[in-house]
Amino acid sequence: MQTARIEGTPALDGKYISEMDLWPLECKEFNRLYKFYDYLREGRFTTTRCQKCGNVAFPPGVICPKCWSDELEWIDLPTRATVTTFTETVTGAPLGFDAPLILAWLDFGKDSPVKQLLARIVNCPEGKLKEGDEVKLVVFDVPAHPIEVKKETKVCERVYYAFEPVEKVA
Amino acid sequence: MAKKNAVILGGGVSKFGVREAHILDLFQEAAKACSDDIPALKPTDIDGLLVCSTMAGRHSSALNTAPLLVQRLGLRPTSICTRLDTLCAGSNTGIILAKGLIESGISDVVMVTGAEKIFLPQRWETNYTQLMVNDHDWDSAMGLGVPPPFFALIAKMHMKRYGTTREQMAHVSVANYNYGSTNPNAHFYPRKLTMDEALSARPIAEPLSLFDCCPLTDGASAVIIASEDRARDLTDRPLVYIRGTGQVATHSMSAGWPGETLAEWPHLKKAAETAYKNAQVGPEDIDVANIHDCFTISEIIELEELGFCNKGEGGPYVASGAINIDAKRPINTDGGLISCGHPFGASGARQAIELVKQLQGRATNQVKGAKVALAHNLSGPSAQHTVVIYGREPVK
Repeated sequence: MQTARIEGTPALDGKYISEMDLWPLECKEFNRLYKFYDYLREGRFTTTRCQKCGNVAFPPGVICPKCWSDELEWIDLPTRATVTTFTETVTGAPLGFDAPLILAWLDFGKDSPVKQLLARIVNCPEGKLKEGDEVKLVVFDVPAHPIEVKKETKVCERVYYAFEPVEKVA
Repeated sequence: MAKKNAVILGGGVSKFGVREAHILDLFQEAAKACSDDIPALKPTDIDGLLVCSTMAGRHSSALNTAPLLVQRLGLRPTSICTRLDTLCAGSNTGIILAKGLIESGISDVVMVTGAEKIFLPQRWETNYTQLMVNDHDWDSAMGLGVPPPFFALIAKMHMKRYGTTREQMAHVSVANYNYGSTNPNAHFYPRKLTMDEALSARPIAEPLSLFDCCPLTDGASAVIIASEDRARDLTDRPLVYIRGTGQVATHSMSAGWPGETLAEWPHLKKAAETAYKNAQVGPEDIDVANIHDCFTISEIIELEELGFCNKGEGGPYVASGAINIDAKRPINTDGGLISCGHPFGASGARQAIELVKQLQGRATNQVKGAKVALAHNLSGPSAQHTVVIYGREPVK
């Protein structure tokens, strides 16, 4: 059997394809929620609260999903949560994620407007996490992408978030 | 003027599996099988076309899918022609809409057809696409793509709260594989399964192991829904009426989960209540059901929320044999998703075909005297629930 040289898709020539992008388009040119990511850079976990009806939505938005008002303000959410239960993917993690991929169901406590959330747990070796463990927000860089601005190309730096054990585990 | 009744005549499926075929080949195969099931039906009898696929745009570069099928199936739709995308509930969504189109008089004969071509030349791309069917910027960017991790969380919670065991979950895999071993179109036909095999399988996402999970599958299905008058022209078989439907969606991502914990699915309970009310039946009237066994734990929770057993007792219920062919209400008699496989948009119509056969007395694993049947899909990370109830009699 002859082995052909694999050249990928010639027309694409290594181009960035937003349709194949794992991460959000975070910059203000493409996303009215860009402040969420700006706040992440400051170590803050935030969402939008309606100034009309007081409803707190997650994810944040540009209108309130309860009363459809567009008068919203950014508020801080707890950056610590407790692990209700979790699962560790050791083989078959999606492209872009290393094993173990730990996904946890987090409890943000009675006083938090967002009670439960699924999140990824990082900086934690396989087999070390326990139900009831406390975790905290962690923010990290994810790959930048280009934006065409007339004849120039601007680079959009990006961050994303996950949670990590409060007590360092070896 | 009396209300028109919507009748489902029957339909057909392509062979399900890892297929050496294009998505349009699969759609054509299902149409052929549908035509074989309803010999009097001509392509030009069909005035409405609902095409159900989530992956067609991404995996087969076919974004505006419905007109492609008009060409490939020789149809001339005059009342409706569109694609629907509700992931796993695709063709049950089509069946709900077809009922409305028929009852309102907008359409007379509607084809609901679904297909997915999941497998691509490189396997990574399939798993990568799965990241795009959840809430991309939020849950997916956490790594929530392929479903097993999410349903593993659900299983752990159900085990913790209600004492459900891996052995009880294995009863679902064994039952569904054994039903599917008689269905030549099932992905895993003619494989049977023993309890020992189920319990000793390799782990996928603890506590779920290989046979707890339905596979990803290429495949297509097609059904025909018509007004009662047109149905009588097209078939001599007993008529099967679409009695009632319900579709409930409450959230797109984990933050909006409606239950007290992951083990409670109040949105399914609500969808079932709506469908029962419209169909004027209750859970005790259901003789046979095809429900969404994407994982064994899903079937267990669905049996509870559909009212077939008490909340929390799904595990002992399946272990008692209540889903088997000799029980009062057999479940997933064609093999369900676990054995048939799950080409998302095609699964609802595949369920409908089995239930029509059951109500017409021509199923392979026939439930004696079945009069009322129920189909259920969930889609996404248990984000949306869809219930359709069929009967030999129309709602009075």
